[in-house]
Amino acid sequence: MTAIENPKTYKWVGTRPIRHDGYDKVVGKARFAADLNLPGQLHAAYLRSPHAHANIVSIDTSKAEAMPGVKAVVTGDDFPALDITDSNHDVSINVLARGTVLYHGHAIAAVAATTKAEAQAAAAAIEVEYELLPVVLGIDEAMADGAPLANEQNYQKFVGPSDPSNIATHTPLERGDADAAMAAADIVIEREFDCAHVHQGYIEPHACVVDTGADGKANVWASSQGHFMVRAITAAVLGWETSRIKVTPAEIGGGFGGKTTVYLEPVAARLSEKAGRPVKLVMSREEVLRSSGPAPGAKLRIKIGATSDGELTAIDGWMAYQIGAYGDFAGMVGAMSVASYKFPNLKLESWGVLSNTPKTAAYRAPSAPHAAFAIESVIDDIASELGMDPIELRLKNAAVEGDLTAMGMPHPRIGLVECLEALKASDHYQADPAEGAARGVAVGFWFNIGEQSSATVNLNEDGTATVITGSPDIGGSRASMALMAAEELGIDVYSITPVVADTEAVGFTDVTEGSRATFATGKAVVEACRELKVELCRRAAQTMGVDEAEVEWVDGAAVSPSHGGEPLTLAAITAQAKRTGGPLTATASLNAAGAGPSFAVHCADVKVDEETGQTTITRYTAVQDAGTAIHPSYVEGQMQGGSVQGIGWALNEEYIFSSDGVLMNPGFLDYRIPVASDLPMIETIIVEVPNPSHPYGVRGVGETGIVPPMATIGNAIKAATGVRMTSLPMSPPKVLKALGDGR
Amino acid sequence: MATVHLMTQHRPLAGGEAVVEADGATVGQIIDDLDRRFPGLGDALRAGSSAGIDGEIHAEPEFVQVQPDTVVYFVAPLTGG
Repeated sequence: MTAIENPKTYKWVGTRPIRHDGYDKVVGKARFAADLNLPGQLHAAYLRSPHAHANIVSIDTSKAEAMPGVKAVVTGDDFPALDITDSNHDVSINVLARGTVLYHGHAIAAVAATTKAEAQAAAAAIEVEYELLPVVLGIDEAMADGAPLANEQNYQKFVGPSDPSNIATHTPLERGDADAAMAAADIVIEREFDCAHVHQGYIEPHACVVDTGADGKANVWASSQGHFMVRAITAAVLGWETSRIKVTPAEIGGGFGGKTTVYLEPVAARLSEKAGRPVKLVMSREEVLRSSGPAPGAKLRIKIGATSDGELTAIDGWMAYQIGAYGDFAGMVGAMSVASYKFPNLKLESWGVLSNTPKTAAYRAPSAPHAAFAIESVIDDIASELGMDPIELRLKNAAVEGDLTAMGMPHPRIGLVECLEALKASDHYQADPAEGAARGVAVGFWFNIGEQSSATVNLNEDGTATVITGSPDIGGSRASMALMAAEELGIDVYSITPVVADTEAVGFTDVTEGSRATFATGKAVVEACRELKVELCRRAAQTMGVDEAEVEWVDGAAVSPSHGGEPLTLAAITAQAKRTGGPLTATASLNAAGAGPSFAVHCADVKVDEETGQTTITRYTAVQDAGTAIHPSYVEGQMQGGSVQGIGWALNEEYIFSSDGVLMNPGFLDYRIPVASDLPMIETIIVEVPNPSHPYGVRGVGETGIVPPMATIGNAIKAATGVRMTSLPMSPPKVLKALGDGR
Repeated sequence: MATVHLMTQHRPLAGGEAVVEADGATVGQIIDDLDRRFPGLGDALRAGSSAGIDGEIHAEPEFVQVQPDTVVYFVAPLTGG
């Protein structure tokens, strides 16, 4: 359903063709990384740390090397030590530990053998002597004066490597005078929140096959969100020139941000180099949960002041993100994501805090869901205290073009007001909740990003086109690229074959993150098509014997009034390409600026069983500004996927650690993601406020949908029970306890 | 002179100023000008900043051209999932 129509209409953009890769995926022909097998291939397995923090005194691999089938063993000593200021330093010491293990499950060594069982047996036979170190597990513990260090090599970014710290980043953001505004406010509400680590939960575990040849070059087949990223990080960790590695992208079975980095490929490459045979390395589900990045946990204190008529006058926030044992930018981004409301006075302080837990990774709109859970909960309480409708209060304060984000920059054209109005007018919001259910709403924001993309478009002699890009197809991007090319060239979308090419067959393309593929790679496809249209018109002018300036491209054909208006189709021109100047091909590469921020507004109706504490969602609607929905079905899919992942985050999902840092629920039986029977149909409303920086108005839609669900459901639980939940997940035991405390 | 908005964490390096003026035809030249007047600010900006110009965020802004009336917002590097 589209609530606000894009004022422009197109022939192909906005339609819903079956995706080009759909058949292969439905019938099981699509090849994921673990599906590939090469002649002579070995299988690899890891030895992982049984301790959350320890020095490695010694490693003895001799017994493992002598075991049946073993062809190669690697440890951290097989890799160069990167300088601590190198941007790949942290990933290099995460791939295999160097002298110190920093979390339970940290990889220490790997073995390649003729079978997986032999590799696992040999890995278990590696003897390691440890010197145990203090384990730092919580934010308060890590930030306390005199706290032991979770990682003695960590230093605070932008401060310098001289002083090891449990702090990765400290980001203050201020405007106006929040203290004075808070003192003058008619109503002030302050609450403290906490959020457990959650995992992206992609169905396909990390997997790769690497064949390092005698010439020193490595062929890598891998599942990732960006094969150029895999090439760059693998080369850096190995100490190789980038050109020694070719990465072929396998199909990807989910990433959601968790496949924006590398775990396996450098290890497999070195094992293959040592063994002289291809090596396959596939994580188990337990390894995925223990040793590949979950999203950060967090603690947040949020105070918001407002006037009695509902104008939000100030926000004062403290946000600490628990990011594992390695520095990253999660804390900074959390504070920067405060951008939905005008807030004339703002004081935010955010921290990235280390602990001896797995290295965190992005999860859709990284760090924004935590902040939104806290802020949208407090805003809902203000609306409730003032007796205002929660949408009306948000409309009164919603950011519009020119309003400042927390990071100080004014918004470009955005669609938050349109999203709020669309929900307000929706069938869901107009109808009463079912008997026994209550309703919550919340807003989410995400920046979206641009970055580098390349595209090559080849026109074939039969009038079809091949569109070659370097963006792995995670959410239907092949179909989106084909639709934009079809719109530009004026040919049928099924006359276009979209291809995701390897690192040697297409120009450099950054990782698919920040909802950037349809925006930035799509922009490159459009540029290449437009260059081709100029050339097609030139060829047509030559054939028609008219001036080039008199020819224009209309609906898939060159037309010139001087030529009687008789169209010369694309197929007719390509058939004569050899005669008119040779193959018709164009390439565009760009570093895209102007990604359009995206807003979402969600609405949930829930019932809470006060005997068990279980929350059941009876109705759920997601509204989101897509800019322009190139393929509405896949936009809706992203909105639904983000909503469902957010519902899992809200109600059940959490990393549970023992007191010594061991993850206690490393499997989908105990780490409970939602299944279909847990959910109603997620209703979607696409709002289209075009992004002026994209030729079709694309904003990017992959991430924003995960930002509002936690607060949406928390607000609905509050409406249903009168109890404000401040801890994620809002699982039955926590709800029961809160209900008991609230009575 | 372009108008430059600094992130809160960089303001102590600029004498506490949130907004400063700077000369230059590119963002890189603006950073150089700021570093001449506020030693250390240049390194801090280059260590981890994107630049917002005319509503668009540039991840590697060094060679992005600016006009005398351009407003530059230095912001932390953005990422995504």
